Amino acid sequence: MKKMILLGAMALTIVNAKAQDFKPVLEKTFMAFDTTWDQNAKIEQSNKLSLIAKKWDNEWVTHYYAAYSKIALTYQEKDGPKKDAYLDEADKELEDAITILKKQNDETYVLGAMIANGRIGVDPMARWQKYGSIFSGDLESAKDINADNPRMYLEQGISKFYTPKAYGGGKKAAMPYFEKADALFAKEAGTPAANNIAIPHWGKRTNDYFIGLCKQEDKE
Amino acid sequence: MKQHIHLRFFRPVSFLFLILLTAATAIAQYKISGTVVDNNGRPVRGANVYLDNTLDGGTTDSMGIFRFTTSEKGNQSIVASEVSHETAGLPIVITGDVSGIVLRIQANKAHDLDMVVITAGSFDASNDKSKTVLRPLDIVTTAGANADVVKAIEMLPGTQQTGTENGLFVRGGDASELSILVDEMVVQNAFFSGPPGVATRSRFGAFQYQGVSFSSGGYSARYGQALSGVLELNTTDLPDKSTVNLGVNMAGLYASGTKKWKKSALDIGGSYNNLTPFYGLATTNFKFYSPPVGYNGNLRYVWKPNKDGILKISANGSYTNSGIAIPNPYTAVQNATSPYLYAFAGLPDTVDFITRDQYYYTNASYKQLFKDKFSLYTAASYSLDSTKNKFGTVPINEKDQRAQFRIEGKDYFTSRLNLLVGGEVQNYSISKDFDSAYRQNYKETQLAGYTELEWTPINMIAIRPGLRYEHSALLNKDDIAPRISMAIKTSAHSQISLASGLFYQDPEDLYLLAGLRPGMQEAIHYIANWQYTKDDRTLRIEGYYKKYEHLILEHDSTYDPNAYRIITQSTIVDNSGYGYAEGAELFFRDKKTVKNLDYWISYSYIDTKRKYENFPTEATPTFIANNNLSLVAKYFVDKWQTNFSATYSYASGRPYYNPNNPTFLGDKTPDFNNLALTVAYLHSFGKWFTVFYLSIDNITNQHNIFGYRYTYDANGVVTSAPKSPVVPALYRSYFVGVNMSLTQFKKDEL
Repeated sequence: MKKMILLGAMALTIVNAKAQDFKPVLEKTFMAFDTTWDQNAKIEQSNKLSLIAKKWDNEWVTHYYAAYSKIALTYQEKDGPKKDAYLDEADKELEDAITILKKQNDETYVLGAMIANGRIGVDPMARWQKYGSIFSGDLESAKDINADNPRMYLEQGISKFYTPKAYGGGKKAAMPYFEKADALFAKEAGTPAANNIAIPHWGKRTNDYFIGLCKQEDKE
Repeated sequence: MKQHIHLRFFRPVSFLFLILLTAATAIAQYKISGTVVDNNGRPVRGANVYLDNTLDGGTTDSMGIFRFTTSEKGNQSIVASEVSHETAGLPIVITGDVSGIVLRIQANKAHDLDMVVITAGSFDASNDKSKTVLRPLDIVTTAGANADVVKAIEMLPGTQQTGTENGLFVRGGDASELSILVDEMVVQNAFFSGPPGVATRSRFGAFQYQGVSFSSGGYSARYGQALSGVLELNTTDLPDKSTVNLGVNMAGLYASGTKKWKKSALDIGGSYNNLTPFYGLATTNFKFYSPPVGYNGNLRYVWKPNKDGILKISANGSYTNSGIAIPNPYTAVQNATSPYLYAFAGLPDTVDFITRDQYYYTNASYKQLFKDKFSLYTAASYSLDSTKNKFGTVPINEKDQRAQFRIEGKDYFTSRLNLLVGGEVQNYSISKDFDSAYRQNYKETQLAGYTELEWTPINMIAIRPGLRYEHSALLNKDDIAPRISMAIKTSAHSQISLASGLFYQDPEDLYLLAGLRPGMQEAIHYIANWQYTKDDRTLRIEGYYKKYEHLILEHDSTYDPNAYRIITQSTIVDNSGYGYAEGAELFFRDKKTVKNLDYWISYSYIDTKRKYENFPTEATPTFIANNNLSLVAKYFVDKWQTNFSATYSYASGRPYYNPNNPTFLGDKTPDFNNLALTVAYLHSFGKWFTVFYLSIDNITNQHNIFGYRYTYDANGVVTSAPKSPVVPALYRSYFVGVNMSLTQFKKDEL
């Protein structure tokens, strides 16, 4: 009898392990990724996010974070072909996420825009025309779904921030976008999303960082 | 109470389970370690190493070493993946700790940046291809080009400097041997109408195109009817945003607007051109008693019904009017017994030439990619060019029409193998009358079918064989033109490309208008190049040999140096003309060495001779300079937001006809020199992005000479009067303008 219970318990444990909630491990890994500036540590956590996406293959959000991490890896990468390779991986993960969702949501559109922006970064002169329209198109689509998505304004702000002043960019032009995003981040913090890794809510830290950079201009 | 029992019942079980689990982990935590290396044995950093289908894994350090623990055992597969390498795996059996695993991953993941690209005979200015050495923006910022696409191409190898004639003269070929295409459709009258001896701008502004591809030989089987090369322009796709663009310059005013919806966009533009200020400031050699004035309007609609499809419809209309006093090119024709038309006999040495030109062009194309596997492209175009010119007292009316339809499909069997199959029909006609009395016209219909295979068996080799069939209804002739090109990568940054093929072309309008129907002219190209590209530095050396066969030859003519001569049906012609062109070209571009400095050097050497048209013997034609050099430099000063661009062009002397020299075309003009400068200042006025620009062409006011004219008496015998130089319409000229664009005017963006 005891043996039977034991066996049953063991069977249960195995089943449980398989269906184990992905959220804690995803959250832990993502936080580790998002809070370090060290590229090697970022690569390590991004590798883990890939494994999580592989294991919980039917959860769109695991692919979403894997894609996000690949995009973020390009920010400190200098080599053009390698940046492209990361973005290729991000594209694949994003496609998986969209396939599971069956339809794009505002967050996948924002990610699509970020990939396009990353492509421009590899060769701006050659690519702005093609990827510039994808970038703005994806953000527009995101806005149609949810005009209160703070990440959308954050990405627009970053794009403005890095556009030369002569072309209508710069700190001053970017600031309103970060401010708008800031208000929306504050709003988001009060929703259930803020405590649920399965609902993307990243970006406040980056937004604060850029607001800080924009304010520095006043001292100049 | 119930709960109590419940608890008591489960407690021992959970307890037992806990022990069991701890025990299991204690037993089954195995250490796995090893290294990841590339195919050269070098360690790979940042690789993800894991047991397949588990979360157990680690990342390699700078020595390529990985370590992780796992509770898995038995037969497993360990996988290593890294972003710039191919993923590879190994089967392992875990019965205890495993160390010393060596995973080898290939470093040659195929990226478009690494794949070999066929470059023989072609220069691409494109936004999507990573290997291109020229961008559309390069065209606008090239001094001396005045934002004219065709003029900018003259700064590339394989072309001749022009000053008094329209068109691109490529590798020994005359202007008629190059075909200009917009979205794969032939443009019949690519240049604005003007008087003889005065070069005019092409109808193409640089900003309408996202890609320009110039082929000086060995081009794709997709195109035909060009003995020398093709210039392909690809119009822009769906615009980024709604925009308003306004400009004013010394040639006129223009305004355009783009309204963008989610999946479609409408462009409307219009301009008023008046070259009075431009000619007013320039050193002109002819009297523009009525400087060119004109209007232009265009409309374009783009629709993207889905992610992989695009429809484009455009219409363009323009009107130009000008009056200029030019040296009469027909002064040699005073002789009524000449086989040439003598309608212009008796006109003075300088005549007034009036141009009135109406031009309409419309094009519709649709492209769709199906599941990344198959693409379909279909396009139709129609153009009408109607000119009512007046040469002194003689009215000359001309009407050119062209309709074309093309359909092609491309099957991507794999990313390394695709097959193109297509067909096209072209129908065009020219009718001309002089003084409403003497009429000439012809109508041609051409059918063509083509196929081309693109195969990249391995990353370092690409091969593209093609075959084209052409039928001419007018000449009742059929031709088969095989083409082939290939590229081999010789090192990480260098490659060799080869191209060859057969090219056919109808006889020139001159003969067809006269009612003469000889056969197709033919050229065979052999091209080889070596290209080295690394970090925004490109070095390219190209050599070629081109053989001309079946060129048109007149048998009963004496040589007439007038390029605008007209012949009659009694002229005896056949396809016995021939010729050759061979040369070497060098191109070096460097955007790397100095920050914000971009420069290129283009040098071409050519040796060419031919016997064709009314040449009495084999000779180098008058449009050929054996040596051509262009130095282009651009420098952007961040602090001033100003771009400086300078171009120096040199060409050695060109042959000209001296009736007193027994050697045909045995004399040469002085060398050609031109220095041009463009300064552009960028500034944002609120949301208006503004560019101010100033260009000076021929700064040194060089009196370049393109040939000489001799005076003849009433019997067609050369007189002892001094020869007069053939000069361009302008020496030094200035161009000043401002362009303003407003992109962001949506109030609801924030």
